[in-house]
Amino acid sequence: MAEECLVCHIVGGRVPSERIYEDEDVIAMLDVNGANPGHCFVVPKDHFPIFEQVPDPIVAKLFKLSNKISSAIFDSLDVQGTNIFITNGIAAGQKVAHFMINIIPRKEKDGINMQWEPKQMNEEEMSTIELKLKEEAMNIGDFEAEAANVKRIEIEPSESVGGPDNYLVRSLRRIP
Amino acid sequence: MPSPQMTEQQIAELKEKIKNMSPGELKEFQKKQCVFCHIISGKVQSKKVYEDEKALAILDINPANPGHVLLMPKEHYSILPQLPEDQIAHIFMVAKSLSNACLRALGAHGTNIIVANGVAAGQKANHFMVHIIPRKEEDGLVFDLPQKKIDQKKLSETKEKLAGRLAELMGKKQKKTDEATDSSLDRISGLLKDG
Repeated sequence: MAEECLVCHIVGGRVPSERIYEDEDVIAMLDVNGANPGHCFVVPKDHFPIFEQVPDPIVAKLFKLSNKISSAIFDSLDVQGTNIFITNGIAAGQKVAHFMINIIPRKEKDGINMQWEPKQMNEEEMSTIELKLKEEAMNIGDFEAEAANVKRIEIEPSESVGGPDNYLVRSLRRIP
Repeated sequence: MPSPQMTEQQIAELKEKIKNMSPGELKEFQKKQCVFCHIISGKVQSKKVYEDEKALAILDINPANPGHVLLMPKEHYSILPQLPEDQIAHIFMVAKSLSNACLRALGAHGTNIIVANGVAAGQKANHFMVHIIPRKEEDGLVFDLPQKKIDQKKLSETKEKLAGRLAELMGKKQKKTDEATDSSLDRISGLLKDG
């Protein structure tokens, strides 16, 4: 957990919240100042500021839960749609440094803007981006094999290994 | 999809035909009409940035920002709740990696990940997809999430309904869950067909 993080305080129960689901890895709660009634967010209990830092098995859990919440919204509230929405990084509008998934119930003309004006790009610009992304995406791995090999490792930074900045602890943290 | 050349009568006949289709036939029909299914099969050209046996990611030809990626399952599903759980897990693990690719390869400072379920949520195509939009400071994009003050009574009511239904869904096996949400799915997919 991170001292400064509001979500970590909510996870720890030191700040009250309207929880609708909790297990050992994830929590879902209602946003008390939501974009629409029923606006929920789903968070990992461990502190990860951005999407890229969340281990794959936790990503899988978070989104399976988000899907169930989306279905529960369809079933129990009078809505015509849902958005799953993530702000990843300050430039993307992220306000709290703890990764979260917003699930927003939607109705026609509810005042929420999820539209954009398409940017005009020429063929050359598109091709350059295609090549760059394709090259980077080549490294995307075999998720099933990775998921099957994951062990849950509890990391307790202790004095004996020199605290959280110790090399061993840092490399342990890299293990998904 | 009604095209401009169709007469009123042909449109009415088509609507009647759609209404009488079994879920399997409907899925086949939607697949034939779906431009993204044609992209997946290669009949329609696209700029592919990632592909595996279950998923395909392409560049959006009407991007919100340069590098806007559309990630979709290869099989045709209209909305998220129709996807089997293993596909949901797979798609979003790939989404995470593609978000990372946007940060690394394009020098983006952040990403927005957006899914729209239903026309009211801004869904335009009848094929489930995840938008991954690279962001930079002052790029002119605004996704407006107003903060509404929701009174305590409304909040408690909503929580009770939602948590109750969620507990039912979480308690059931995946297959049963699918059956349980069928009526809602029909409602939402129906909206898509009309849209």
